[in-house]
Amino acid sequence: MFNGIQRKLLASVLAVTATVLLFANPALAAGEVTISHYFTGSLGRAGLEDIFAQFKKQTGITVKDSPIGHEDFKTGILVRAAGNDLPDVFSYWAGARTQFVADSGHLHPIDDMWKREDLGDIIAKPIAEGATLYNGHRYLVPFGYHYVGVFYNPHVMKKAGIKEMPKTWDEFKAMCAKLKSQGITPIALGSKNRWPAQFWFDYLLLRTAGPDYRADLMSGKASYTDPQVEKVMGLWKQLIDAGDFAPNSNAATWTDAADKVARGDAAMTLMGTWITGYWNNNKLEPGKDYEFFAFPTVTDGVPKAALGPVDGLVISKNANNVAGAEKLLTFMVANPGVQAKWASIQGALSANVKVDSSKYTSVMRHALKVIQNSDAFAFNYDLATPPPVAEVGLSMFAEFMNDPSGYKEMLKQTQAGASDAFAQQ
Amino acid sequence: MERHTRFWQCALLALPLLVFGVLVVWPLLSSFYYSFTNWNGFNPHYQFVGFGNFARIFTDHLFANAIINTAIWMAAAIIVPTCLGLGLALLIDSRVPGGAIFKSIFYLPICLSAVVVGQIWVWIYQPDWGLLNTAMSAVTGQPESYAWLAKPDTALYAVIIAWSWQQTGLAMVIFLAGLTAIPHDLLEVCELEGTKFRQRVWHVILPLLRPATVVVVALSVINSLKGFDILYIMTGGGPFHSSDTLAMHMYNESFKKYHMGYGSAISVVLFLIALSIIFIYFRQLKKVDEIYE
Amino acid sequence: MSSVALARADEREFNPWPAVIFVGLVVLAVLFLAPTIGVLLSSLKTTKEISLGELWSLPHSLYLDNYVKILSDPAVHTYLINTALVAAPATAASIALGILAGYVFSKLPFPGSDLLFLAIVSGMFFPPQVILIPLFRLFNGLGLIDTLWPMIFVHTAMGIPICTLLMRNFFATVPSALREAAILEGANEWQVITKVALPLSLPAVAVLATLQFTWIWNDFLWPLIFTHSDAMRTIMLGLVFLKGQYSVAWGVQGALSLVASLPTLLVFLFFQRYFIKGMTMGAVKG
Repeated sequence: MFNGIQRKLLASVLAVTATVLLFANPALAAGEVTISHYFTGSLGRAGLEDIFAQFKKQTGITVKDSPIGHEDFKTGILVRAAGNDLPDVFSYWAGARTQFVADSGHLHPIDDMWKREDLGDIIAKPIAEGATLYNGHRYLVPFGYHYVGVFYNPHVMKKAGIKEMPKTWDEFKAMCAKLKSQGITPIALGSKNRWPAQFWFDYLLLRTAGPDYRADLMSGKASYTDPQVEKVMGLWKQLIDAGDFAPNSNAATWTDAADKVARGDAAMTLMGTWITGYWNNNKLEPGKDYEFFAFPTVTDGVPKAALGPVDGLVISKNANNVAGAEKLLTFMVANPGVQAKWASIQGALSANVKVDSSKYTSVMRHALKVIQNSDAFAFNYDLATPPPVAEVGLSMFAEFMNDPSGYKEMLKQTQAGASDAFAQQ
Repeated sequence: MERHTRFWQCALLALPLLVFGVLVVWPLLSSFYYSFTNWNGFNPHYQFVGFGNFARIFTDHLFANAIINTAIWMAAAIIVPTCLGLGLALLIDSRVPGGAIFKSIFYLPICLSAVVVGQIWVWIYQPDWGLLNTAMSAVTGQPESYAWLAKPDTALYAVIIAWSWQQTGLAMVIFLAGLTAIPHDLLEVCELEGTKFRQRVWHVILPLLRPATVVVVALSVINSLKGFDILYIMTGGGPFHSSDTLAMHMYNESFKKYHMGYGSAISVVLFLIALSIIFIYFRQLKKVDEIYE
Repeated sequence: MSSVALARADEREFNPWPAVIFVGLVVLAVLFLAPTIGVLLSSLKTTKEISLGELWSLPHSLYLDNYVKILSDPAVHTYLINTALVAAPATAASIALGILAGYVFSKLPFPGSDLLFLAIVSGMFFPPQVILIPLFRLFNGLGLIDTLWPMIFVHTAMGIPICTLLMRNFFATVPSALREAAILEGANEWQVITKVALPLSLPAVAVLATLQFTWIWNDFLWPLIFTHSDAMRTIMLGLVFLKGQYSVAWGVQGALSLVASLPTLLVFLFFQRYFIKGMTMGAVKG
């Protein structure tokens, strides 16, 4: 028995020593960039591998990548940051999360690179400022972004006799009533992991109190007990009380909700454009089997904002190969071919305005148009407010979906938790 | 003789203590050090807050919630897998036909990783087409669509059942090993003297099984205190913290809210709780030795 | 044990208990198997079918694509080999160290050894996330990140408490008289361990081998932290990362789960024969 183990130990020693030597070889480090990202679905990974191969052909730099599932990614990056061993480049979510990392001094500012490569001309205007500027400096290059809209099943709508999509809140409620009268569940929501519920809060707040007030709430200047927030919860509660949501939202994940809509068991779901990637993979046809309409206007005169997350790339401060990292970032965002390919895999919109819009599906072109006609672009709740506060809010949304009746008390508790978290910043 | 013993005590303990000290004790102490700071994990700068984190524990209602859930989990862990595992071990040990197959079936759950176990039980508890609701509808004739994992009242228990499903095999295996230590002839003598099965179990087998029992109970306590992976996959501590345990609360505070210092304080408390419970069990171990001397 | 009772009972009257026990075990076994069968079902279906809620129905046809996909994937082969390279040495090392320490605590106690024993066992009292960062820093400083070494070392160290606990308890059932007899015949402690105590405690070692291997094989936290590149990853990471942020792969995940759990099952089948009765206690009566 010992011999077998000794042999295995010897084998592992040799294998590991070889590997250690291989990676410690300084000659390779010059032409190498390490990157860690959270794109672990099979399509995403394959897509990135192609992109990195293209990059190597163009510049001769090898990209060593380390994909981690997005939830574990947050843990992994934290541990690496604490151990001072961040990769040269890593993907991150623009907004409050990147702000958090930038504040702790782990990021390399890319103002020079920005000017050098004229990135201001390439990057989509709606997201350029909010996603890239932190504490007055550029830190992040957007890689792709998504738009959150009300995605629906045209077959279900047609069968129910609904010809026009609602533009106002009253029209929306009327449509839900019409769907219910035909025995169709209007809205599917998969809030098991809490975050899908945030879009309802976000849009209702954006459409009633406006993006400026929302920014105040996200940064702790406004309170969850304000009348504006109470109004939002009240409107949301109207939908729940009317039975417009499929029961047991907290038991379903966002894919369960998407499946419900695809099957025709529900008519629509409020979700980001990544749902198109999911549906395309399940062989649904854009435009025919799914379409979206923008979240309806609630209060007149309020600036119409678009909502969505921005995926970006950042360079760590102690990167081994800063020059190579900057080249990689530029390549990823400035090369229209790369951008178009990535956008189609992820069901995202390209951060590069030079991408030919004919490369998008009809639904994505529709999304692009809506964003271009919007007055502002906002990041969704858990990317707009600092992570400790986001945790409190997300739990409140889940509690609300479970039983909205005690919402005034919930708001008080949320404010207590939020102000606590802001105080500890 | 004395010096010889001394030599062997040092020689044998040296390597285990070294490995344990460097890789467990030192990191643990170093992590406990952060419980006196307000470190957020990312920022290399932090301040000392003395016992501030520990004071916060007393006012943290999520912590109180987590302690209650953990106590429930521990109670269930001590009773369910232990008794079931013991019962299974006794039954299988009685040379029932197909013993090897039964052993494998009850052990199989442990071979599956937490990721898989969590996911499959999510599919069992699924409200619309999950196995549980489908079976219940078939039996009662009424459609059942209760969302076991999404309702705060049942979420924790649903996870505990899934966890017990795995843990039972562990208990069974340890009891089976313990049963091998019971001398065959001793039991034969009892039988020849006309004792009933129940008496044999209660007065002979159980006392002789005490080393194994203590291990099983200790493991149940410890694993329930650390119960994390399955919970993470099935509910993430939700819905809205109703199935939070101390380990999950620590994880949420440290890695989601970036309150590393506070999270460390929670793990210190968790550690001390486990220590006190096991210390009491430890007294039992002393009595075990006396049987064999 | 009760086979004697069974035989004798048959002579006198019909004893319903064996049949009842058997039926009871079968029912329990079926209940216990249900979730595993669910995993099997998921591996024989497409992700789309599962999304439509058809998991718990018998498959119309034998869809083996998921298995073909993972068994032909070279990354999966690498993951499996890596996991074996970590699990086997770590299991052996932690059991060896547990034997050494357990022997001292049960047979060579000294003042304070009880407290030291408690201290070692207390190494189980915390969730591993607590020491993530200190250990990462340690191995980063040693330049061992993205190799298999940190996982082997850490699993060995984390296994010491349970191995010590079990070995100590099972060594305690070995009568001291045996040890004293051996020493009188001129054996040293090492020989007592290897020739007297261990052979009598083989069931415990077998149990530990099975459990430790299973736990180490199924772990994904340490590989998550200590490995970055695909070449060093273990099978559990491969399993977890089948899911993307915006995509799921249920069918493949089911197939990979079953494939990934085969080694631990095989280890159990190999070692479980050592849980046989009647191997001990022949030497000393009363």
